[in-house]
Amino acid sequence: MGDVLFIALRRLRTPLITLILAYAISVAGLVAIPGVDAQGHPASLGFFHAFYVVSYTATTIGFGELPWVFSDAQRAWITFTIYLSVTCWAYALGSIFALVQEPVFRTAVARSNFARRVRRLNEPFYVIAGYGQSGTALAHAFDELHTRSVLIELRPERAARPDVEVYQEPPLALCADARWPDILTDAGIMHRRCKALIVQVGDDEAAQAIAIGASALNPDLTVIARVHSTLARANLDGFPNITVIDPFETFAANLEMALATPAVLWVEEWLSSVPGSACPEPPVVPKGHWLILGYGRFGHAVARALTHTGTTWTAIDANARLPDEPHLQHSDNSVESLHTAGIEQAVGIVAGTDRDAMNLALITRARKLKPGLHVIIRQNHVAERSLIEAARAHLCFVKSEIMVRECLQLLVAPLLNRFLLQVRRKGPQLAEQIAVRLLTELEERVPHIWVFNAYASYPGLRNALAGQTEHPLLLRELLINPLDPAQTLKAVPLLLLRGDEEIMLPPPATALHSGDRVLFAGRGGVESLQHRFLLDPSPLGYVRSGVEPARSWLFRTLQARQTR
Amino acid sequence: MNLEKIIFGFFIILACTLNFGFVIGDIDRPELHHASELFAAIIVNLIATVLKFGDRTHIGATHLATSLVAVLQLLAASIVWMWQLHITGQPMDGQVISIVVSLSGGALLANFISVILLIGETLKQSR
Repeated sequence: MGDVLFIALRRLRTPLITLILAYAISVAGLVAIPGVDAQGHPASLGFFHAFYVVSYTATTIGFGELPWVFSDAQRAWITFTIYLSVTCWAYALGSIFALVQEPVFRTAVARSNFARRVRRLNEPFYVIAGYGQSGTALAHAFDELHTRSVLIELRPERAARPDVEVYQEPPLALCADARWPDILTDAGIMHRRCKALIVQVGDDEAAQAIAIGASALNPDLTVIARVHSTLARANLDGFPNITVIDPFETFAANLEMALATPAVLWVEEWLSSVPGSACPEPPVVPKGHWLILGYGRFGHAVARALTHTGTTWTAIDANARLPDEPHLQHSDNSVESLHTAGIEQAVGIVAGTDRDAMNLALITRARKLKPGLHVIIRQNHVAERSLIEAARAHLCFVKSEIMVRECLQLLVAPLLNRFLLQVRRKGPQLAEQIAVRLLTELEERVPHIWVFNAYASYPGLRNALAGQTEHPLLLRELLINPLDPAQTLKAVPLLLLRGDEEIMLPPPATALHSGDRVLFAGRGGVESLQHRFLLDPSPLGYVRSGVEPARSWLFRTLQARQTR
Repeated sequence: MNLEKIIFGFFIILACTLNFGFVIGDIDRPELHHASELFAAIIVNLIATVLKFGDRTHIGATHLATSLVAVLQLLAASIVWMWQLHITGQPMDGQVISIVVSLSGGALLANFISVILLIGETLKQSR
């Protein structure tokens, strides 16, 4: 608001003074000039009447000659007044319209409206810096989860896009440079309901500046930054609150997992896909010789992953500026160069250039030479999805999809993320164990994931967790249907978090302590049934003893007398 | 010498002097307080207020505040005057003119503070 008022007052100084002077001259003249009253006595107008006459004359309303018929001298002065005041009004109004049209003023108004709306937000929200493809996908994903986003985007044509896109709750967008701390503050990174800042700008320098600036302003804020260079990554790694995502590295890590430990990747995809959808196929990536077409940042990351798993590869890139490497072939993507690269003995091909049409052409050409190739394709533009789908690739790399999946895992289900990291660390044996349990105890679908907080502050759990019952609360008891104790709930406890200790696949006989958090995978609807344990002690008492405990004082006393 | 500074100082001091000229004289004698002088004081005060618009420094904000106070008091004085003459329909008497003059006296104090601020600002300039 300060900026808007400041600019408006500053620009309107001259027109306002002009208006004041015009009125002052007109009124003073009208008071000074002699006139006659109704009886013909000489009488000039007082300041009150003069101001009244000038007011209606200047605004071209024109009530006539009041309070008495004017003398000719007064009429002459009124004529002058009309021309003076109407000109001054035209000038003042023109200045006001010019000011409203001015880009500086409009920017200030937009900024102040944005800041006010963010300040008044009374719901949890995420701040997204950069509204490119990944930013758009992420904002829509948050919208699906009924969480508001606040967007900062440098380019005006992108910042205007949320207005025309379909959202349930439209995000608040500002066209500004997020590197400035006051812009970040206006976007609400110090707001108590701000859950996280996600930086997805094209330039690594800018991404670093935004992430570091935001952490300096609010050290407790969760920041997720997308960067591509190792230097930027190293710079940001020192901050405990900043999580760095490099989509190329993430994809390469997944590819490496698909080659080395497919079961781990399978479980990861299974648990992090959309709940209720069909269970994903176990990933199959053949080992053998691979061709990498396009040896940029994406190609490098893929090549590294292949090397780690002991797979051989040859990269083809026409860019002469790339330094010579043993596995790099400087050539175009013609049939001859594919032959030299050894397409005959290759099992798979990675089309990783930054042009979608080119990738498509490469795949078609390679398939003609060798039909059974395993194909990995990189999709650069969200809009070209149908083009890429036509290639029927086995695996498709889409930067924005990887960003959305990683961000949702980190922000919406942090406990699931911890669990998956543990699975990755422990290896395929645990992953197979999990897969078997999911298949036998649930069904071949993607389960719902939720967290059960065993806090003694919940009235339903207070007695059991405080040790006021005969035996401690067991994990097994949470899986009894509170409506029908003969049935067990269709859910698998994946992880028990006790302080910093992570217990993978906790056994059913585990005794729960206050403060424990349990990650469950299970059917939809089970979460709400479990929720009944929290609010009221009777469901828990019922599943543990089989007796519906009395709720009122009278019946409690009667029950106690009966059992005595 | 800066023309802007001259105009600024001129209007602030003129606002104060005109106000003083209207206030001076026995408080309850209408013939010692002329309407034209009040009119001139209001106009000059309005211009001084507009001149102070848009300065975001602390001293600028205080300047603007004093002017707003002065304009408010003077407008109140003129409305009292107008009420007596045109709405009550009585000639000016000692009781009403003393209200008008005391209101303008308050405006004079605000204008005086404004002049002190101007002097202080000038003395601060070491150049």
